[in-house]
Amino acid sequence: MILYRRPWVAALAVTLLLLLANLAVQPSLFKPAIMLSNLSSWLPLILVAMGQTYVVLSGDIDLSIGAIISLVNVSVVSLIGAFGGGDGALLLAIVCGFAIGIGAGAINGVFVAALRLQPIVTTFGTGILFAGLALAIMPDAGGTVPDRVFETYAGPLLGVPVILWILSLAVLFVIALGRTRFGLRALAVGGDAQAAFQTGLPVTRVRILNYGLAGGFAALAALCLIGETATGDPLLGGSYTLSSISALVLGGTALSGGTGGAIGSLFGAMSLGIINNVIFFARLPFELQSLIQGIIVLAALAVGTLVARR
Amino acid sequence: MIGLTASLPTAPRFPWARHPISIAFLLSILLLGVGETLSPGFAAPGQILSLLTVAAFLGLVAAGQTLVILGGREGIDLSVGGTVSLGALIAGNLMQGSDAMLLPALLGVILVCGIIGAINGLGVTLVRLPPLVMTLGMYGVIQGLLVLLTRGRPSGKAAPLLLDLITAPVFAGIPGLLPVWALIAALLTLILTRTSLGYAIYALGSNELAARFAGVPTVALRIGLYAGSGILGGITGFLLLGYTGTVFVGVGDQYVLPSIIAVVIGGTSLAGGAGSYLGTVAGAILLTILQSLLTTLAIDPAGRQMIFGATLLVLMLLYGRRQALRG
Amino acid sequence: MGALAVEAIGLSKTYGAVTALREGHFQLRPGEVHILLGSNGSGKSTLCKLIAGSIRPSSGELSLFGTPTNLSGPNDARARGIGVFYQELSLSPHLSVAENILLGAEPLTRWGTVDRSALRHRARDLIALFGSAAGPGLTPDAPVSRLSFDQKQIVEILKVFSSNPRVIILDEATSSLDRTQVTILFERLRALKAQGVAIILITHRMEEIFEIGDRVTIVRDGLSVATLEIAATDKNEIVHHMVGARIEGSIQRRLRPEPSLETALTLDGLQGPALAPLSVTLRRGEILGLGGLHGQGQSDLLLTLFGAQGTQAGRITIAGQRFRPTSPRAALKAGIAYISGDRRRVGVFAGRPVFENLTLSILLKTGARRVRPGLLRTLLEPILNRLKLKAPSLAVPIQSLSGGNQQKAVIGRWLTTKPKVLLLDDPTKGIDIQSKNDLYAMLDSLCAEGVGIILYSSEDSELLGNADRVLVFNSGQVTEELSGARLTEFDLYQAALKAA
Repeated sequence: MILYRRPWVAALAVTLLLLLANLAVQPSLFKPAIMLSNLSSWLPLILVAMGQTYVVLSGDIDLSIGAIISLVNVSVVSLIGAFGGGDGALLLAIVCGFAIGIGAGAINGVFVAALRLQPIVTTFGTGILFAGLALAIMPDAGGTVPDRVFETYAGPLLGVPVILWILSLAVLFVIALGRTRFGLRALAVGGDAQAAFQTGLPVTRVRILNYGLAGGFAALAALCLIGETATGDPLLGGSYTLSSISALVLGGTALSGGTGGAIGSLFGAMSLGIINNVIFFARLPFELQSLIQGIIVLAALAVGTLVARR
Repeated sequence: MIGLTASLPTAPRFPWARHPISIAFLLSILLLGVGETLSPGFAAPGQILSLLTVAAFLGLVAAGQTLVILGGREGIDLSVGGTVSLGALIAGNLMQGSDAMLLPALLGVILVCGIIGAINGLGVTLVRLPPLVMTLGMYGVIQGLLVLLTRGRPSGKAAPLLLDLITAPVFAGIPGLLPVWALIAALLTLILTRTSLGYAIYALGSNELAARFAGVPTVALRIGLYAGSGILGGITGFLLLGYTGTVFVGVGDQYVLPSIIAVVIGGTSLAGGAGSYLGTVAGAILLTILQSLLTTLAIDPAGRQMIFGATLLVLMLLYGRRQALRG
Repeated sequence: MGALAVEAIGLSKTYGAVTALREGHFQLRPGEVHILLGSNGSGKSTLCKLIAGSIRPSSGELSLFGTPTNLSGPNDARARGIGVFYQELSLSPHLSVAENILLGAEPLTRWGTVDRSALRHRARDLIALFGSAAGPGLTPDAPVSRLSFDQKQIVEILKVFSSNPRVIILDEATSSLDRTQVTILFERLRALKAQGVAIILITHRMEEIFEIGDRVTIVRDGLSVATLEIAATDKNEIVHHMVGARIEGSIQRRLRPEPSLETALTLDGLQGPALAPLSVTLRRGEILGLGGLHGQGQSDLLLTLFGAQGTQAGRITIAGQRFRPTSPRAALKAGIAYISGDRRRVGVFAGRPVFENLTLSILLKTGARRVRPGLLRTLLEPILNRLKLKAPSLAVPIQSLSGGNQQKAVIGRWLTTKPKVLLLDDPTKGIDIQSKNDLYAMLDSLCAEGVGIILYSSEDSELLGNADRVLVFNSGQVTEELSGARLTEFDLYQAALKAA
């Protein structure tokens, strides 16, 4: 019973095991600088996977989430330039970035939930649209942001690294959301939409909100990527779409909806990152690395699914 | 022979006009017309044949996709991109430009890709993984397999006979690939509509438990469907090799999501149990013409993508809507 | 008397060209239990869903508590004091019992989060209504997906009660409940009735109508045909209205020739996970009834025989040959057919033509690769005529037929395989009287042909009217065998309620 509604416990256990394996091949793993650099490279996927979780919980899927990252990334970089690069401009650009992410997510939500289109195909379609928009805004990778941006991102705030602040706030947000009526209703909608509707729940609104949430998380991930790379790239987000799904499955969220949670996805995304590390530091022959990684990820996905089902 | 019920639903006046297959074919013709108007020569016979050739590869990958989607339980195969690449790679390496190895190469491709598909099927049935997860994971494994086999440097060469077969005209300028596609399409349609196997596939997709209770060997059948998708992906890779002559790593990746789209705009429900391969053929042709039209009109990549995405959404709006919760 | 709780004036609902309810007239008084009666697909559930706001009317007017109302959705209806038990249940599988019961009206803490302890307490109080009849495992924290079907029905009932509605709609709320559970529910309904709550009850069980009902409205072919005071009517009059011109429905046993002396099926110590060892012989042309309270192992026996239920031990012999029930496929080949009343789950291939629904099993049994429509049609024709299957054509999707005709198609699928043994698992659940009678006539002729039949039914009258003898089940064990003069409702009740 300990696992019922706490699928992240299993994901945490897997993450810890993988960390041990990582430590075995990379003794310096727990040095603060190494941990921090690991975390900063995992953070975008962690955030995207958390966002994707909400969409999946209510029984849908968002294949456009990578394109949303690209779109927010190039929009914010362009806006910072357009607004002039002052502190106010930065803040305004960040707000716009969130608005664009949430807006794009809400568009998905309207198509899927209000207009009742099939989520896989529809978000694939909107994804192409968003990616095209990103290309129109910035045809090639480039653009720069003021040095302050990545200096702040990499630096500490009140003695704690900014990256850690972002992660903690995201986790707190997720926990708080899980305790609200909305959290419960999202699970009900994903478990059986017809039943939730007949119970009187605002099914369409819940699903649109979840898409919006996913867009918001994608926007945050895009901002982190700007903090890290200090530039814009219209093709940046592509790989995050399927990885986010892998991460949330690893974290014990069922693709059929109704069961799982964003905390599990946090561990799922970390697990994917750690697997990368282990493969890299294990000094395997180059040609075997990718195959072994593929097999480990497949096995982990299987375990994640079995845990979600129990 | 059978009595009529009191309240018969009256049929719509032109049922075919609402059917996704007709819509897809009509739109294809419309797009050809638009293309011809804006850029004369777009709908020339030779141009159409080359469009169909490009569509054939998508259509063949989507044939496997159709099978697993028809079989239901959220059936989907994201590993097709991998099996296509793997098929091309194995074929090229077994052939090495020799005609004598053509048939052994084909058998090798069918064997390997069939096994990979069957493993997908085993994961989906015995471990009960969601197909999306299983085939996504398998895609990663195949990527690794490709790296291992090529060590990063693609190798292999098509047999001249294969090149001839695929590209040389067999009749009235029609390249050999098209009869091959037509043959596979006819065979698949026959199986789906005129055999007990086809009935069992639709039954499986419509209601798995009822299918089992009616005597369908559901587990074996589902494994067979995924194996079929793997084999069709492999065969597509084999034929692609005949089209390109040499092997590219990741040649199949471009087909993964379009193959699903082709199935859906052809009217096959992602829920399973309803649809046809003819629809998928129509979907593949429509997608190819649309892509080609956007390229021909020299619209920049950004605009091309946006129009493509918007078209997809409009198509979904046209006939992809699901039932409302409140009737 | 105050305003009517619900009044429907000429309410109708059409889906495309299909009319589910035409000109529905219906009045519900506060403080009455109003039975809605009618065959499947007659429009009862449609009327309920219109009042519940979960579908929107095509035309007509609905008044709630004296005011004409245009419901915007189920949440609107709920806010106006309407509580609905949905036949197909409205539970969320991954949420707990407590969460399900209070979903949509979750108690909140002052921080705006869900108050879990209040949630649990209120659920516990509601579950206590059913006491020990709720069965093991029905606790506030149990996930709904792990409950048995009758427990899910209880949760759905409690969910209705939790919102303190002024109008309660129970759409086949008793279909899976046993006698004790029904008694508790009815006691509660009487208490609510005394407080002025108006109750609509849909049931197919005749005895329940007279037990709890004040008035009954009979719906036929989408029309409300009559509203009667229960105290001033009887079974015959009700049945008369239900079937129209035809009068039928006595619980008299029909006369059938004696079963033959040849055996169709022998069980020798057959046992399964929920089944104590059982030895019994079924003769050709015999109908062996399975009785007892709901869920005492009757379905387990049928599913085990059919090879659909994992492990088993013991020996099964069909027509002198040993049969190992490894899968339904093996059963099909050995001449066993299984038909369940739960056709939506295990029978019908929705979205597929009637023809495919009818022919799949015979194709699989004979191993024919090619479908020969002409050949199959000649094979089907006599069976369809016998079944009186009504369909515009065999090419229409099966879900466009009425429930009774869908069930006939599923039966037809099995009859084409010419089974030696027919297993019936509550086969007439939710189908109309006419279809039921057609099915009973069918059973008689199958018996005459020497088919051995095992029949489980949740309706005592069906069991007594058809079976040559009845095995009474209690917790997986046969506790009594009734035959001859002891085939009476009284004996059956007594045997069912006796402790094992």
